[in-house]
Amino acid sequence: MDVPDTVATALDDRPVTGRRCLEAGAGVGNATAGLLANGADRVYAVTNDRDHARTTRRRVADSGGDGSGGDGTDRGNDADRLAVLEADLRSIPLPDGSVDLITAHGVCNVLDPAALTAVAEELSRVAAPGAHLVVDDYDPLPDGAAIGELFAVENAASELARCRPALTFYPAAFLRRFFAGHNWEFDRERTLLEPVPWTESHVSAHADEAASMAAECPGEAGDALSATARGLATEIGSESVGRMYSLAFRRPG
Amino acid sequence: METRPLGDTGHDSTVMTFGAIALNWLEQEGANQLVEHVLDYGVNHFDVAPTYGDAELKLGPKLRQHREEIFLGCKTQERTYEGAWRKLDRSLNRLGVEKIDLYQVHGLEYDEELNEITGDDGALTAFREAKEQGLIDHIGLTSHGDPGLILDALDRIDDLESVMFPLNPVVVGKDDDEYDYEAVLARADEKNVGTLGIKAFAGGSWPPTDELPEADRPFANWYRPVTAPDEIRERFDFAAAQGLTSVINAGDPKLVTMILEAAADYDGMDEAAQRSVIERARHDDSPVPEQLHH
Repeated sequence: MDVPDTVATALDDRPVTGRRCLEAGAGVGNATAGLLANGADRVYAVTNDRDHARTTRRRVADSGGDGSGGDGTDRGNDADRLAVLEADLRSIPLPDGSVDLITAHGVCNVLDPAALTAVAEELSRVAAPGAHLVVDDYDPLPDGAAIGELFAVENAASELARCRPALTFYPAAFLRRFFAGHNWEFDRERTLLEPVPWTESHVSAHADEAASMAAECPGEAGDALSATARGLATEIGSESVGRMYSLAFRRPG
Repeated sequence: METRPLGDTGHDSTVMTFGAIALNWLEQEGANQLVEHVLDYGVNHFDVAPTYGDAELKLGPKLRQHREEIFLGCKTQERTYEGAWRKLDRSLNRLGVEKIDLYQVHGLEYDEELNEITGDDGALTAFREAKEQGLIDHIGLTSHGDPGLILDALDRIDDLESVMFPLNPVVVGKDDDEYDYEAVLARADEKNVGTLGIKAFAGGSWPPTDELPEADRPFANWYRPVTAPDEIRERFDFAAAQGLTSVINAGDPKLVTMILEAAADYDGMDEAAQRSVIERARHDDSPVPEQLHH
């Protein structure tokens, strides 16, 4: 199971071995893969997207992992250590204080401020005393980034269709203060990617998402946004710009 | 151009090594010009092989003219004592020199080959005799194959002073053992063995020859290279930043100047930028180790 270097780097100074872990917002299960590879005792991968849940389950099942990663001790089959929970991060089906390490890898940028607050409260609820939290996300894009125009179109379509933005890029300094406000002690910050490679498949996926939401918008506005998104995707192709960071926090013991 | 110690050889190699296979695609006059061009950038380590067409012959005139400026690597695919001696003599004759600085076992791919070269009648016995006779100075090994086999070679050949192997963001981004050339780099560093990186500029495999005949390929490389100047620079910086002693250019002469420029300007690559390159290449197919050509 390939663990992206970003995840490996974000986890390499965290105590994962033997811990109960939560991947908050499992996309394709990258952090789940990293947590299992680093010897997590149990990983709860939480997502409200059925395709993501399937992908994460399949990826771990296909890996044939023998659970011997991390410290070399046998912790059982990877699939046996994983529970994929299809649930909203604002209402995680786990008891209070039940996990030792939480990852939010590339999640905050898809949460608007209200959702971010609700999720932070829930993550804090399920965290055991002394638990660790790793938040990996993207700084706002610099002025002049072409991909920024595509994200602006995606947000405009989302605002019209759903009355909320699709993407919010929180500066590292903001999330640092934000989680401190939820009683998480800041531990460290590191840069994971600089520049961030927005590949053709990323660009195309965001254009698809923008077009999909634009289709829900009434009248000419939707058509115009969709056409703009497609045009921008063709024009941009791929772009490497911006920064992905990793913040680590600790819950007071 | 930055230089780095080539293991315990006592030689400091430039961070770029000139892969002289590029000369195979040029007429003699062009070959002479390319060698002068490479030397103008300060490159001091050249690598050639008898399997690179007539590159040995085309390198010869300028090599002899600038012999003191060039640390010369050559190699043989022969695995037996007799064969290795025969090929060494032939290379010395074709190059027109009295000594090869680094003579390498070329293209190790199978366990049986490692057993053969390390046996009593194996190529390494010939290498050692040649070293005693002053015909070569150092012993090296090259492989495009299984990293585990190169690790075995490092463990079994005590007098090995350099290893040449693939290293690029595609293989670094993959976790499977078959791509784990980073382990080779780490073991070589532990043993103070020099490390020479190939396929740094590999963009992927060529389509099958029935879809794209070799004659129609736009670049004379075993693999499809990256070709844009910024990509070349990024790939060079990435490979050099992994800690290799030296990075070898892509074999097509059209790409050599861009790689020289990148090498001349190299001033490191921070870890976030390295991860960025890996992340972008993470889902690409690797032309190694599947495509085993020399």
